[in-house]
Amino acid sequence: MAHAPKKTKPAAKAAKNGARPQQTRLWLMYPPKLITRPIIWELGHKFAVSTNVRQASVTDEIGIVCLELDGEREQIKAAIAWLEKLGVNVEPVEINVIES
Amino acid sequence: MEKHEGFMKALKCRECGREYPLAATHVCEFDFGPLEVAYDYDRIKKSLTRAAIEKRPQTMWRYRELLPIAGEPTVGFQVGFTPLVKADRLAKRLGIRELWIKNDTVNYPTLSFKDRVVSVALSRARELGFKVVACASTGNLANSVAANAAAAGLKSFVFIPSDLEQGKVINSLVYGANVIGIKGHYDEVNRLCAEIAGKFGWAFVNVNMRPYYAEGSKSMGFEIVEQLGWRAPQHTVVPMASGSLLTKIHKSYQEFMKLGIIPESRYHVHGAQATGCSPISVAQKAGLDFFKPVKPNTIAKSLAIGTPADGFYALKVMKETGAVAEDVSDDELREGIKLLAEYEGIFAETAGGVTVGVAKKLIASGRIPADDSVVLCITGNGLKTLDAVVGHTGRAREIKPSLREFEALINAEGELSAAI
Repeated sequence: MAHAPKKTKPAAKAAKNGARPQQTRLWLMYPPKLITRPIIWELGHKFAVSTNVRQASVTDEIGIVCLELDGEREQIKAAIAWLEKLGVNVEPVEINVIES
Repeated sequence: MEKHEGFMKALKCRECGREYPLAATHVCEFDFGPLEVAYDYDRIKKSLTRAAIEKRPQTMWRYRELLPIAGEPTVGFQVGFTPLVKADRLAKRLGIRELWIKNDTVNYPTLSFKDRVVSVALSRARELGFKVVACASTGNLANSVAANAAAAGLKSFVFIPSDLEQGKVINSLVYGANVIGIKGHYDEVNRLCAEIAGKFGWAFVNVNMRPYYAEGSKSMGFEIVEQLGWRAPQHTVVPMASGSLLTKIHKSYQEFMKLGIIPESRYHVHGAQATGCSPISVAQKAGLDFFKPVKPNTIAKSLAIGTPADGFYALKVMKETGAVAEDVSDDELREGIKLLAEYEGIFAETAGGVTVGVAKKLIASGRIPADDSVVLCITGNGLKTLDAVVGHTGRAREIKPSLREFEALINAEGELSAAI
């Protein structure tokens, strides 16, 4: 499921453009209909970010992936918006930061 | 790696067991698993006995060796040791032999169990040299951070969704906290708060201080055991938002058994959620060891976490202790609030209504046997969620300042004349 993109080196590219690279750690939770789709590979090709899977569990019911994204802030934000539009639940590594 | 601080040994990843220094950090660099405080139980055993505990002031700090600070507490000296009420009238109503209410509606100073976790997080934050503390919250946590920080002379930032009710905002603003409302969808606000926590060098109580913060919940379990006469209850019903409190109640019973403070016994720690936000309950009932995220839709706002961080661990605890989860509708939770108020004189917030409602279901269905003993963890005060019961209580009758009118009212309403 997880492939780092071959064509981009986001951190270097971002630095060259003057944009600040950043690292973002996320938990992705996929509904069953998306489990067979190579979403992380697609993400790595659509956006100038590098992807690094740190933990994953896939069953018939749900796909759970802990993912590190490296790249320019705007690219990471766009990648998250794309994932959410697909129906992937995107949480920070802390999961629920807002408590009652 | 190990440099003992107080009775703490290290921070330890709950997934892979890797150890980290006792700093303000919360995630394993290897697998991003949550970090938890590891203690030196051999040393604790020499210092923490029933007799030692009983001599100490009646606050949560009487179990200090099992709380994650290196020195003496500096924030929240008065927190904890809330009443454990023997609820005979409610027990009879629910059809159970023995029922106890652990009443954190009167926890000091902000009337919820959050004062336990916050006083630990802030005491530890001070030890680590922080001057600014922060949290992201929709209610009880914000109030507690604001109040405890004010009392300790710490500067505080409280992040809230911008559409939060005015009353809840004032409950933080009054303490002089810097309250920042963030516009946007819940998920966006949640991610931004995580980003802010990572970028600014503050003690974010439920982010980088989380390993310490979460341990404060154990004090509720320690108190239950002591107040029951040094025994673990057969059944404990705990409300679940992130699921953290349930795991820490379990940990508190385990630690007392491990230290020989109470004998080994079988106990069950059941979880309670509102049906409108029940990812953990749904998973437990389906026999799954993972939950599916949901979009919350319930009046129990203090439990409305659709992706609970400790959901996986809460499910594990319920499995290990032979416990179950259950959920109740908004109407059922309102009934729970009223039952607790009308039978025990305790006014709980919506989470308390959930806990009572779930206990009622578990008893009625025999999942908690009628001959057993139960403790309900009631975590917050009803004055904080008045909106939830407006229009669902009795009504005040109005009369002119006339004795004749009052007598006419009494005669007209059978319920009133029966009370004479």
